Amino acid sequence: MTTSRRQFFGQAAAVSAGVALSAPAVEALAAEPAPAGLVDVVFEVNGERQKLRLDPRVTLLDALREQLGLVGTKKGCDRGQCGACTVHVDDRRVLSCLTLTATLQGKEVTTIEGIADGDDLHPVQRAFIDHDGFQCGFCTSGQIMSAVKVVEEREVRTDDQIREAMSGNICRCGAYPNILEAIKQAKAGDR
Amino acid sequence: MHAFDYAAASTVRGALDLAGPGSAFLAGGTTLVDLMKLDVLTPDRVIDVNALPLKGIRLHDGALRIGALERMSDVAAHPVVRSVHPVISKALLLSASGQVRNMASIGGNLMQRTRCDYFRDVTSACNKRRPGSGCPALTGVNRNHAVLGTSDSCVATHASDVAVAFVALDAQVVLRSKDGDRVAPLEEFYRLPGSTPDRENVLGPGELIAEVVVPVLPWARHSTYLKIRDRQSYEFALTSVAAAVDVKRGVVQDVRLAAGGVAAKPWRLRAVEEALKGGVAIERTFAEAAESAVDGARPLAHNAFKTALLKRTIVRALLDAAGAR
Amino acid sequence: MIGRPVDRVDGRIKVTGAAPYAADTKIPGVTCGYLVTSTIGRGRLTGMDTAAALASPGVLAVYTPFNPLKLFAYVQEQNDERFPPLQDTEIRFFGQAIGFVVAETWEQARDAAGLVTATYDQQPPVTEFPGRTLQAFEEVEEVVGTQTVGDITFTASYTTPFQHHCAMEPHATVATWNGDHLTVYTVSQGALLVQRRLSETLGVDAAKIHVLSPHVGGGFGGKWGNWAQVPLACAASRALGRPVKAVLTREQVFAMAGHRPRTKQTLAMTCTEDGKLTSIVNDGVTSRGLGGNWSESVANWTLTTYASPNLRVTKTVVPLNLGAATVMRAPGEANGSFALESAMDELAAQLGVDPVELRLRNYATLVPNTGKPWSGKHLDECYRLGAEEFGWSKRPKQVRATADGDWLVGTGMATATYGASRGQASIKVRLHPDGTASVSGTAADLGTGQYTVFAILAADELGIPVTRVRPDLGDSTSPAAANAGGSNSTCTNGPAVQVAAKAVQTELITLATTNPRSPFYGKEVSYRDGSVSSGGLTMSFGTLLTTCDVGGVEAVGTSPRLVDPEHGFRSFGAHFCEVRVHRLTGEPRVTRWLSVCDAGTIVNAKAARSQIQGAVVMGIGQALLEATEVDVSARFTNANLASYLVPVHADIPRIDVRFLDHSDPVISGLGAKGIGELGIVGVAGAIANAVHHATGVRVRDLPITLDKLL
Ligand SMILES: Cc1cc2nc3c(=O)[nH]c(=O)nc-3n(C[C@H](O)[C@H](O)[C@H](O)COP(=O)(O)OP(=O)(O)OC[C@H]3O[C@@H](n4cnc5c(N)ncnc54)[C@H](O)[C@@H]3O)c2cc1C
Ligand code: SF4
Ligand code: FES
Ligand code: FES
Repeated sequence: MTTSRRQFFGQAAAVSAGVALSAPAVEALAAEPAPAGLVDVVFEVNGERQKLRLDPRVTLLDALREQLGLVGTKKGCDRGQCGACTVHVDDRRVLSCLTLTATLQGKEVTTIEGIADGDDLHPVQRAFIDHDGFQCGFCTSGQIMSAVKVVEEREVRTDDQIREAMSGNICRCGAYPNILEAIKQAKAGDR
Repeated sequence: MHAFDYAAASTVRGALDLAGPGSAFLAGGTTLVDLMKLDVLTPDRVIDVNALPLKGIRLHDGALRIGALERMSDVAAHPVVRSVHPVISKALLLSASGQVRNMASIGGNLMQRTRCDYFRDVTSACNKRRPGSGCPALTGVNRNHAVLGTSDSCVATHASDVAVAFVALDAQVVLRSKDGDRVAPLEEFYRLPGSTPDRENVLGPGELIAEVVVPVLPWARHSTYLKIRDRQSYEFALTSVAAAVDVKRGVVQDVRLAAGGVAAKPWRLRAVEEALKGGVAIERTFAEAAESAVDGARPLAHNAFKTALLKRTIVRALLDAAGAR
Repeated sequence: MIGRPVDRVDGRIKVTGAAPYAADTKIPGVTCGYLVTSTIGRGRLTGMDTAAALASPGVLAVYTPFNPLKLFAYVQEQNDERFPPLQDTEIRFFGQAIGFVVAETWEQARDAAGLVTATYDQQPPVTEFPGRTLQAFEEVEEVVGTQTVGDITFTASYTTPFQHHCAMEPHATVATWNGDHLTVYTVSQGALLVQRRLSETLGVDAAKIHVLSPHVGGGFGGKWGNWAQVPLACAASRALGRPVKAVLTREQVFAMAGHRPRTKQTLAMTCTEDGKLTSIVNDGVTSRGLGGNWSESVANWTLTTYASPNLRVTKTVVPLNLGAATVMRAPGEANGSFALESAMDELAAQLGVDPVELRLRNYATLVPNTGKPWSGKHLDECYRLGAEEFGWSKRPKQVRATADGDWLVGTGMATATYGASRGQASIKVRLHPDGTASVSGTAADLGTGQYTVFAILAADELGIPVTRVRPDLGDSTSPAAANAGGSNSTCTNGPAVQVAAKAVQTELITLATTNPRSPFYGKEVSYRDGSVSSGGLTMSFGTLLTTCDVGGVEAVGTSPRLVDPEHGFRSFGAHFCEVRVHRLTGEPRVTRWLSVCDAGTIVNAKAARSQIQGAVVMGIGQALLEATEVDVSARFTNANLASYLVPVHADIPRIDVRFLDHSDPVISGLGAKGIGELGIVGVAGAIANAVHHATGVRVRDLPITLDKLL
């Protein structure tokens, strides 16, 4: 029984799973419901409307990286255990590796590629450079996306509160002390 | 992750209609998606319940009522929760990370699965995941495992923090199925592993947790949640204690205590509560009362320290809650 | 410019998500490879069923030892796997690669990999340490003197567990062929390490293999070797005629991509009544994973740290059914120093001597095991400055003497030293008509700041702003520079950058004086601050190149390997820390840190400080949190980032770092030694000593978790 289900969905998925259809193609398909095993999702990424027809297994992290070409968001564990994949969905910081893209109908996603204002870096990005808040840079997108929200959180004030609020973002290079200083700088500017 | 059929439900009725054997409700996904990637859970159909109206945090009829789809971070930050039952807020804020708390729902939290590493590794035997296959944790690496409420079939802990606070506060869960609603005390909602560790709770197939109902306890404003772990944050508990104490003129009038990280389910410490009542609120009383917390404990090769640690966690939590310093 | 704090030149691309890492590579038509791994720890594969996987949607191929991709045997030791994947049926460790599924998408490949089944002829894996072993052999590492007598004796054993690098970037490789030319984007601590490995195993001329590894998401030794995904992605891509991308899951990284071995050291020391060491014997035991050949020199740190007329160090290797043990930040020395630095503290207590004072009494003015002079050593200054800044003199002599509320407070210190060496490196500097200079070499920046080091040194030598230098790293077509390992990148590559930046000035002058279009044609010229001058005329090199209509001038500079049998070379430092332990629940937390380092010339004060801080953070993990557990099945049971605990923000206090300003002129004109690994050496010892000071409990087995302090 299980096998037949898998074959059924599987074959449909084989047609175009994981492939981002170009906008006109989705437009053309929009009238028709997605073939069995695939889902259509319309959502915004960094202010741009995106329409994807995809295998429902595709996480937001994989959709961003593999289908939308936004590879700034990183996969450190794919299990919710490191924070490297942090993005904002409807203005909250979340883990894109545990978010199924199918659930994002009508939502707004912001990634590391979407926070600078053209060539002007976001103050948190600037502060990370000023304080050397990274080494290898692999956790950095996630740290910054988290930090942007922590800077906004008025209740997070002391060094220990910032450390706790940032503890869902692991940095194996150990840039923690500098990230703390960067967040303090950004918070000071934010007030 | 095996292929599945995805459906988003907009009404409770719709969700219940879609549900069937082999289906799974999807809330925040922080347990479900994780375990699907590991092939630990392999639902045929995933029903997105996030649009259901199981929301709201309110005081009603002498109880705090929390919708199952409220997010951990929203519950933790809610002014009513913070003033009526601060222990709930504290337990949530010591859980997971800011990002996970923004995603995860209260219902999902209560339904989260154990963090036993053997359970999470499908190449390993595990009675909870594959009934009858054996329990490698009994003789394997078991430092994080339970010492209370375990069986020869399974020694895993229940990993939720907020459930510990709820159990201390006599919370109930409202369960909704096509047959209507039923209410169960959370403590009884969870089952001990016995010989069927795969059956973790009394939820029927296709049944939803709709709401958590926590009776208001005026003195529970003096409450705390203490979580002990190796890492300062972003880790599950080695031991944890939810404590609320009512101290008048230095004497314990009433007390609620439950422990996490040590037992097969959120563990109410009734014997300790009884031993404390009428006692002088000082460390020695707390320490003497805490002795009974580990009655019947079954330590394993690597987690024997949890019995001593639990007792000390209780003492420390009581000192905090009683404001004894 | 050298020694000032400079923002990283790769800062902007890193904070905007634009820095390309291997897995970010976009190639049209790329397919996804996913590894299938063994579910036993020792035995032989007897069969595999791949039918379901092959029938699964999107699957292009399933390779196994029964249907392998041909790979030739590895010839050279690279501290990684002994055997290329899928070439034999022997299972040496749990999680060994036994299959490779290639599909159109990641989701399809992952699902199909789960459908592959295997049957085995199983044998009980060997996992006990030290325990009964397959073959334990003793190597006498070194003996100096033979006396082991003294007035005071001290003996104790110290152990350290398996640990994992846990670089945030999992191992990733993307391979694509154009005819018989291979281009491979991969994680690596040195592009040439990959090129050499692939040339061996694919049987392809190295000249036809182009390796690109411009940004690496942390290495710490774990990306020195090439693990199974590297050859498999390349070979599968060749077989399928499609680009292949293979990324290890975090669990696979734990199982197969190297780990720090387990160790046990038994130290026996004797000294005179006034605390002068008369002998140190350190018997080290270390594990080796049967997936690899490498083992660490666990006890050798004892040979070079304190003065003692008699020294004896041994090494016993215990092979286990595990993936390859490999180099991890300060291999040998991070573990080795934990034992000796703890023992020195214990001996100090036994003698009633202050721990800093005991170290000064046994200060090694010459290299202890060779009697040679040091190229430069100012460790005594590190101790004194550190003690003063930290307030060491206020430290109570008694243990368990200080409490802050319910927290017991203690302080501890330890010595750090790490070997320094200068290898050969070649670097190319090219001046462009747009006024910029590019600097290239096969070196890698794993987060070390090597890009910025290149930019600073070239800018300094050329007399132009750092922002006009474009460093170009991680490309195998560049001149052969030092790989990122052994803390000698800056020490080795730095002088080569200087040589090349000088050489290119000569090229520019030749152009200026010999090119008929040059205004300096036939004149005497000089070069200064990016410009050529003669008489009253000064012209920037950009304008000169433009005027001459020349696309650029370049020069390759080579700095030779330093062969100096006269001296001993090491970096030095001292750590001071404060630890708090809860009196009831026992959890230890580090609350204050100071490291003072003597590492020669510091090129970039900003990134150098970060390097030391980062190493201290990893050392805090080593001391208090990190241990990979192995059970009878030979699996690492906690092979994930929720169960293997690395420090998070909340674990880390403010970390103060001071650098002494002493260039080491013997090692090079630049005078830089290494800092990448120095910072972790001694950290665990300092913390163990502080925990003892706080609680009176001596923990000799890492990590120091609360259960050991209850
Ligand atoms: C790295 C990490 C660290 C964590 N640390 C902690 C911690 O320290 N403390 C802690 O308490 N938790 C911790 N968690 C667990 C986390 O809190 C749970 O994963 C989360 O609460 C689950 O909620 P969800 O909404 O995401 O559930 P989902 O993943 O959506 O669902 C979980 C399960 O519950 C079912 N379900 C969901 N909602 C309902 C409902 N209303 N009725 C019936 N069934 C339902 C689903 O079908 C599924 O089986 C951690 C998780 C991660 C990934
Ligand atoms: S303890 Fe329970 S969950 Fe863990 S392996 Fe044993 S049966 Fe499975
Ligand atoms: S990749 Fe999402 S938390 Fe690690
Ligand atoms: S900068 Fe390398 S992991 Fe954070």
